[in-house]
Amino acid sequence: MIEGLVGFGVVLVLVLLRLPIAFAMGLVGMLGFMLETNFRAAISMVARLIIDTSQNYTLSVVPLFILMGLFVNKAGISRELYAASNAFLGHLRGGLAMATILACGGFAAISGSSLATAATMSKVAMPEMRRYRYSDKLATASIAAGGTLGILLPPSVILVIYGLLTETSVGKLFAAGILPGLLGILLYLAAVRFAVWRDPAAGPAGLKLPWSDRFKALSQVWAVLLLFFLVIGGLYGVFDFHPLNIAFSPTEAAGMGAMGAFLIALSRGRLTFADTKEVLTETAMTTASLFAVLIGAWVFSNFVNIAGLPQGLLGLVTTYDLSPFMVMAAILVIYIILGCVFESLSMLLLTVPVFFPLVTQLGFDAIWFGIIVVVVVEISLITPPVGLNVFVLKGVVGDVSTGTIFKGVTPFWIVDIIRLLILLAVPGLVLFLPCHL
Amino acid sequence: MQTVLKFLVALPAAVAGTALFALMLVTFTDVMLRSIFNAPIQAGADLTRLLMAVIVFSVLPLLSFRGGHISVDLLDGVFAKLKIIRVLNIIVSLACGAMLFWPAQRIWVLAERSRSYGDVMEYLNAPVHVLIWFISALTLLTALALTARGLILAIRPGLLDSDP
Repeated sequence: MIEGLVGFGVVLVLVLLRLPIAFAMGLVGMLGFMLETNFRAAISMVARLIIDTSQNYTLSVVPLFILMGLFVNKAGISRELYAASNAFLGHLRGGLAMATILACGGFAAISGSSLATAATMSKVAMPEMRRYRYSDKLATASIAAGGTLGILLPPSVILVIYGLLTETSVGKLFAAGILPGLLGILLYLAAVRFAVWRDPAAGPAGLKLPWSDRFKALSQVWAVLLLFFLVIGGLYGVFDFHPLNIAFSPTEAAGMGAMGAFLIALSRGRLTFADTKEVLTETAMTTASLFAVLIGAWVFSNFVNIAGLPQGLLGLVTTYDLSPFMVMAAILVIYIILGCVFESLSMLLLTVPVFFPLVTQLGFDAIWFGIIVVVVVEISLITPPVGLNVFVLKGVVGDVSTGTIFKGVTPFWIVDIIRLLILLAVPGLVLFLPCHL
Repeated sequence: MQTVLKFLVALPAAVAGTALFALMLVTFTDVMLRSIFNAPIQAGADLTRLLMAVIVFSVLPLLSFRGGHISVDLLDGVFAKLKIIRVLNIIVSLACGAMLFWPAQRIWVLAERSRSYGDVMEYLNAPVHVLIWFISALTLLTALALTARGLILAIRPGLLDSDP
């Protein structure tokens, strides 16, 4: 077990020294495995993992969902989502910020990435909120926080990776993310209301639109609804009736979604050949880097297991007679601390191989733990000093200091913690949908 | 020289892009054929595996050469102040390159083994070892790309900025 802990420490140091995370985990994993067995076994393990991972059928979900998100983005759907949410909420105090949260949630339902959601929505929502003299603090914070929904509402690239790492059903994970995601939207809306209650000048009310205009704006978002229905509906057997009889696997759902998004973007005349090439190349690059990281994590995980780290930790738990709940609390504290330092994906890949066996042995549900981890990762995205979403906002908007954004994010951060506590107290909120779909 | 470089960058992107687009079409067609004509593409799963390997490995050398791997840049400010960021980058690139030579060689051995067994894909009937050769070759190319990156950073770092 000591070897495992040392290995974990060495990976942390190497990663901080800028060694790419895939290589740090791969190197330490392989050397550690070698010490436990021999060189030949270790190098064969690595070679086999490289060969098998690259031909992994389930892994094809990743490029297809990324592709869908990028095509949707090119189609300009984010603008319509924002216009529709705005038509209903814009006239309230803080309404534009609330519309931002809602549009982020909508975009998250077709995009699997929090950074993409934040980057896209900041281009659409920021100019509008500036026009209505929203404070920079509230405007940027609502986008940064709303963006985090991208990895919880299905499809989610992070959930796919968690599913692959732990051999948990991706379909069930997606279903489990829906209610906590909706809860997140509600709580974020409450956080906006709180912010404008404290400082009414931060979010003045906009114009009230007549109902006819509202429905007109709503009718523009059919494409999002159609895609969501196609992908998520297909995944949960909505089309599984005579004579269609189709239930999608996650890969198929992603493929249909990507194709649908491609056709929508094409039909709107917003997709040139050069755009398509750019989208395809970007997706391939992202896929390759995720793939490298996954192999590294698997190599590391093999070492951690052969070194007996999970059993060792479990031994500690029994020796000191810790209750499962205390262990979970300790793990979450570790996550929140690591989240202050590490980028979301790195954190997930580093910790899941160590914690997952322990957590499931203690009787926690694998799906539930996946959602809890993602919620904690979401929190890390807006936690100083390296909250990545805040930096995305800073990158796109430019003339706002990260300090201002972090200050504005505080109420959102607090409701995130509340949400985490709710999900810990009521696991049924996570597990209801996956059990019934 | 410039055109050769441009080609070297454009080729992997074109291969991976085409494979990705094909993956999308195969998945879509498979679902459509299955639901409407009850006739799925038998080799669909095989094709998906094959295309995934092509997508990932064709861009891996380019991604590595550009320093595009996911890494943590938390201490970059500190390293910049200490003026060791370039040295660190050189060491990291060379180390990553060196690390990949053994797996590349081992993958080749496994490919040869698969060839001697005569492994073929279940539906496509294509020999598996050709794909493993490809993976081995591209792993080696990735190792070379990382080494080249390290050397260029050491000798003429300006060259990397003008990446076509």
